[in-house]
Amino acid sequence: MQTVKMVISGAVNAGKTEFIRTISEIEVVSTERPATDDTRLIKKETTVAMDFGRIAIGDDLVLHLFGTPGQKRFDFMWEILSEGMLGLIILVDSTRPETFRETNRIIDFFMSYRETPYVVAANKQDRPNAWSPDELRLALRLPSHIKVLPCMATERESVKNVLLELLDVIMQRSED
Amino acid sequence: MPLVGNIRDFGLSDFLYLVDRGYKTGCLHLSHADEMVSLYFDKGKLITATRKEDNVPVTDLLVRKGKLTPAQATQAARAHQVQNGVSLSQVLMNLDLIERDELQRVLQQHIEEAVYALFGWNEGEFRFEQGQRPEPTAPIMPIPLAVEHLIMEGVRRIDEWGRIKDRIPNTDMVVKFIEQPIERTRGINLAADEWRVFARINGKDTLAEIARKTGMSEFDVCRIVYGFLTAGLVDVIRKPTPVPMLATGRPLAEAPRVKKSLVTRIINRIRGM
Repeated sequence: MQTVKMVISGAVNAGKTEFIRTISEIEVVSTERPATDDTRLIKKETTVAMDFGRIAIGDDLVLHLFGTPGQKRFDFMWEILSEGMLGLIILVDSTRPETFRETNRIIDFFMSYRETPYVVAANKQDRPNAWSPDELRLALRLPSHIKVLPCMATERESVKNVLLELLDVIMQRSED
Repeated sequence: MPLVGNIRDFGLSDFLYLVDRGYKTGCLHLSHADEMVSLYFDKGKLITATRKEDNVPVTDLLVRKGKLTPAQATQAARAHQVQNGVSLSQVLMNLDLIERDELQRVLQQHIEEAVYALFGWNEGEFRFEQGQRPEPTAPIMPIPLAVEHLIMEGVRRIDEWGRIKDRIPNTDMVVKFIEQPIERTRGINLAADEWRVFARINGKDTLAEIARKTGMSEFDVCRIVYGFLTAGLVDVIRKPTPVPMLATGRPLAEAPRVKKSLVTRIINRIRGM
């Protein structure tokens, strides 16, 4: 059985757990705990280790989805999770500009480690005051070749679209 | 929908960059304590700024500055009342009550001071209302101001590491020009020290090395580069480290290559979900 891995990262409360829950075939394995630091101002519970979801591609192939913990003190987990990943989705809470700097830090981290195919998903586009993908591209100063996609992590079609766009990027780098 | 936030988290210079690169038209309202300032943009360029405590027609401003008599101000206001869709600034020029260059000089100075004072704010709520236009009587400049110019001058007034470190975490970062820096430099006037740093940017030297070569302090070099960065002239990147190679000749840090057939299978599976 071959397994391939995609990583979903982003700042606290970007919607990583929800994203994986929406598409995973199994009950997502999360290690959520009551938030104990500044995070509790944003959400009551937060992911302290990782989320894990799974999609069976066939009898011999499985796609694993890993969500990284958002807090800075779990940086060391990012490196472990990124080992051997096929691609990376950076989720951004489009309604909270206070998380944009942290999002940039996360992108810098992953890109300094290896040249990984990635896309940015502008989550919570259904909320009032959501910054549009075009505005997020400027705010995060992303180059034009990086895809910034509208996303609602609670909607399956939206999550599928983000995954398919990432797979399109991966396809361009794959070999015959 | 308006864009809302706090400049503590998303700096004024970052927002100005977004307005410039996004060719935004609208009004950026900023408030902090009792102060409230509104900056109006047209296609990414600043056309006027108003402060809550000094929100007066352009004629009042010019009378106060001795550029217009009260009688001329009244004449312009009356003429303006019968002209739809024309700014009071335009009426003043149409009536030859003030030269275009003089009007630009006076209003630009007034507006720049309002904007530069904002760079001293450590926090403040902002709200950008897309498409919002100023009152026709507002002190609208004949020539809109390029935002890069404002960013550079605003950044000159930064005297703390905190804000700079958000974008430049350490002095081991390398500075490189973005693809078309010459095009971007047109609206910017550089001071002598800024030229010294600008001339040292080669995509190889770190900030620490630039500081050593120019004899300037690391803080001054970082502050200047922060200005270039915010104005969209340069980028700062980590200094490339040698990557260990595998026996196959492929760099260790490179993402694993996968076969197209495998990716196609995953695509088909997700499409079918």
